[in-house]
Amino acid sequence: MKSPPTPAHVQPLNRRRWLAVLGSSLAGLFSLVPSRRAEGGGRERQKEAAMPDGYDPTRHRWLMALDINRCIGCALCVAACKTENKVPPEPTYFRTWIERYIIRKPGPGSGELRGSTIVDSPNGGRDGFPPSAIPRDQILRSFFVPKLCNLCEQSPCTQACPVGATFQAPDGVVLVDPHYCIGCGFCIQSCPYGCRFLNPNTRTAEKCTLCYHRITRGLKPACVEVCPGGARIFGDAMHPLPDDPLSEFVAKNKVQTLKPYLGTGPRVLYAGMDKEVR
Amino acid sequence: MIIELLTALPSAAPHIEGYVYPNEQTLLWSVLIVIYPYITGLVAGAFILASLVRVFRVSELEPAYRLSLLTALAFLLVAPLPLLFHLGHPERCYEPVITPHLSSPMAMFGFVYAWYIMAVLLLELWFDYRKDLVEWSKKERGVRAWIYRLLTVGVHDVSEPALQLDARMAKAITIIGIPSAFLLHGYVGFIFGSIKANPWWGNPLMPIIFIFSAVVSGIALCVFIYLILNRLRGLPQDIDCLDAMGKFLFLALVIDASLEALDWVHRLYAAEESIHVLKSLAAGKLFYSLLVVQVCMGTFVPLVLLGSIQLFRKRIAEGVRRWTYFGCSVLILVGVLAMRWNVVIGGQLFSKSLRGFTAYKFELAGQEGWLVALFLLLLPFLILAVFIRYFLPLKTDAGVHPLTELPDHKAV
Amino acid sequence: MRPHRIPPQILRLILLTLAIVGVYSVARYFLTPASFGRYGWYRAAALGEIAAYPPDYAGKAACAQCHKDKAEQIAKGPHKALSCESCHGPGMAHVGNPDVKLVKPAAPLCLRCHEANPSRPEWLKQVTLADHYGENCLECHVPHQPNEAP
Repeated sequence: MKSPPTPAHVQPLNRRRWLAVLGSSLAGLFSLVPSRRAEGGGRERQKEAAMPDGYDPTRHRWLMALDINRCIGCALCVAACKTENKVPPEPTYFRTWIERYIIRKPGPGSGELRGSTIVDSPNGGRDGFPPSAIPRDQILRSFFVPKLCNLCEQSPCTQACPVGATFQAPDGVVLVDPHYCIGCGFCIQSCPYGCRFLNPNTRTAEKCTLCYHRITRGLKPACVEVCPGGARIFGDAMHPLPDDPLSEFVAKNKVQTLKPYLGTGPRVLYAGMDKEVR
Repeated sequence: MIIELLTALPSAAPHIEGYVYPNEQTLLWSVLIVIYPYITGLVAGAFILASLVRVFRVSELEPAYRLSLLTALAFLLVAPLPLLFHLGHPERCYEPVITPHLSSPMAMFGFVYAWYIMAVLLLELWFDYRKDLVEWSKKERGVRAWIYRLLTVGVHDVSEPALQLDARMAKAITIIGIPSAFLLHGYVGFIFGSIKANPWWGNPLMPIIFIFSAVVSGIALCVFIYLILNRLRGLPQDIDCLDAMGKFLFLALVIDASLEALDWVHRLYAAEESIHVLKSLAAGKLFYSLLVVQVCMGTFVPLVLLGSIQLFRKRIAEGVRRWTYFGCSVLILVGVLAMRWNVVIGGQLFSKSLRGFTAYKFELAGQEGWLVALFLLLLPFLILAVFIRYFLPLKTDAGVHPLTELPDHKAV
Repeated sequence: MRPHRIPPQILRLILLTLAIVGVYSVARYFLTPASFGRYGWYRAAALGEIAAYPPDYAGKAACAQCHKDKAEQIAKGPHKALSCESCHGPGMAHVGNPDVKLVKPAAPLCLRCHEANPSRPEWLKQVTLADHYGENCLECHVPHQPNEAP
């Protein structure tokens, strides 16, 4: 039943591989199935889409960081993401979006240092941010916060997927397999950051892929490419380039993550965060 | 230019209050996911009622034994349909069984369901009905005989030792079945309780609350169907059986109400980050479905009525008791449906940013619309009608009530 | 008749169970995708499929191959951090076929970043249109070298 694996796809037995083997044998026991179709035995192997030349997902660990002080709220990133990834145009589907936080001045004699916080994100920021209706003299402080998939180490979305259609790839990117997703929406409910949506055209879950089709070709993600302020910092934590912006970013800034108390271990780092950001 | 932009902006839709993450503006799970836990709950509850006869020997409930099991089966057959219909890709529904992701509670659905329907419900029914099936297959003609013969699976041995084995097996299966029924519905509660991203759902009490509200709704359903069926067939209502069902309904309702109250007491006392948004949810968007329908009509009124019957049973006339049981069962059935609505829809009405609310948009037709949901709620009753026609015959040879002749009790 | 015969009901159940497990095993054997489990509990082939999508944005390096003069010009001024495609839009179609023309940006795009807005950081140069010269940015500013007059 089991054809011998050909040397072309023999994997080094690292920890990840062992976990996969352990997982599949557990599942095998669980369902009393002695063997699965051996990898490479089927016809699917031949028509499997190849990775771009020389790209090995086990030799990278991609990561994005965000510098809130550098975000100018142009939201060119949101528009670029929608174009690059063919995200549905409606204002309810975003792989990345920009939030505007406005903290009002406190009322006189209120005993507070800061007033109420107003958050908005008109059309995800896709059309830019015209000045808000709140007059400048009532604003204590205001800033923009870019949001995207937090690339959680203990991602609740991949944990929740019943079929293994969403997963963290060896290079750290959390992806959705559009040909395997059943569209149940459990991952969307499980994401504490609202980063997922059900694409109405494909009827499968969708999310930021860090522009997987770009980074595997040596390009930057579209949002990083067009960001004029340098608010989005992208790099490889495993094999950083000599002038890697990520290393510089973490050396210079105190960084935080979103909702750390949920234990999701977000890998996306934020500098210049405020307590009101959730 | 600014003015132009401002007016052109498809800014926050009118139904949004405050700020919600853009992807959260429309509800993902709709009425189909409301009725899914409702239907599985009815299954679990009806089974628990039946198990009271077999395992705990509550002999008053015997007249409702087979009816409860058939009710459980009819609803169980429909239970996966709302899940299937709401999938983006229903044609891929085999994947959770073929490559079950062991860390996902949802992947367990196929296995829990298969276990419950095949290892518990069908088996128990089979052992319980085996003797009758053999007899009926000989007595009846045509399609009926065919169906009965098929269901005997070729086992025609109705000797005394074989029937004793049937009774022992049925009892063993019921004993396995009770935790299985809890598993079936506890698992549904865990689907919601495990979502830590959502403070309304992510709660260790959720599976237990689901189990007890399931028991409550299942018993109420059996009371409802029992009353209706006897009325339709012109049979006398067995008031002892109804009183017993009423007693267990009251007990289950007390536990259910206490658990839900405990949940709220804990939420209010612990007052975590999310409490403000949950409070305004309960007082605002869920006011009618939570406080009025679920708490007052679905819990408080039946508690008082059923409680009074427990206290003053002797002084209340039979007719009044019957009507009270009927009224309470309807109220509870509506109340538990409202509870499922409040959990499923309520949990999606507020943003995980805890800064705002979105709204549920009524949808009549369409894949996740009310028509489909209504159809799926009525379908089990149609299936049950067929079951009753074939497996709860009105007349018997001996002229006695067919359900009092449980092989288990004859053997003992 | 042997005394320890398996009762017929039980025998039927055992056979039925074996049949169900057998059908499941066969289904599982044929329906599990081939690349499933290579890296983890998912279809490894999905990585290649997702990576195969065509990019729309070509990247600054691709632009600089033909438009060396513009790349050098912009590198001297405060817009040096900008990517060409920030203002000109996705350029992959233009890279493949120079006849496909890209956007010639105008004032609204300048304002998208530079219109005065209390939410923007202070290091960014911002203008209030009413106090400035209207939407005629390009009369005085060269986007590739914003400090220079045309």
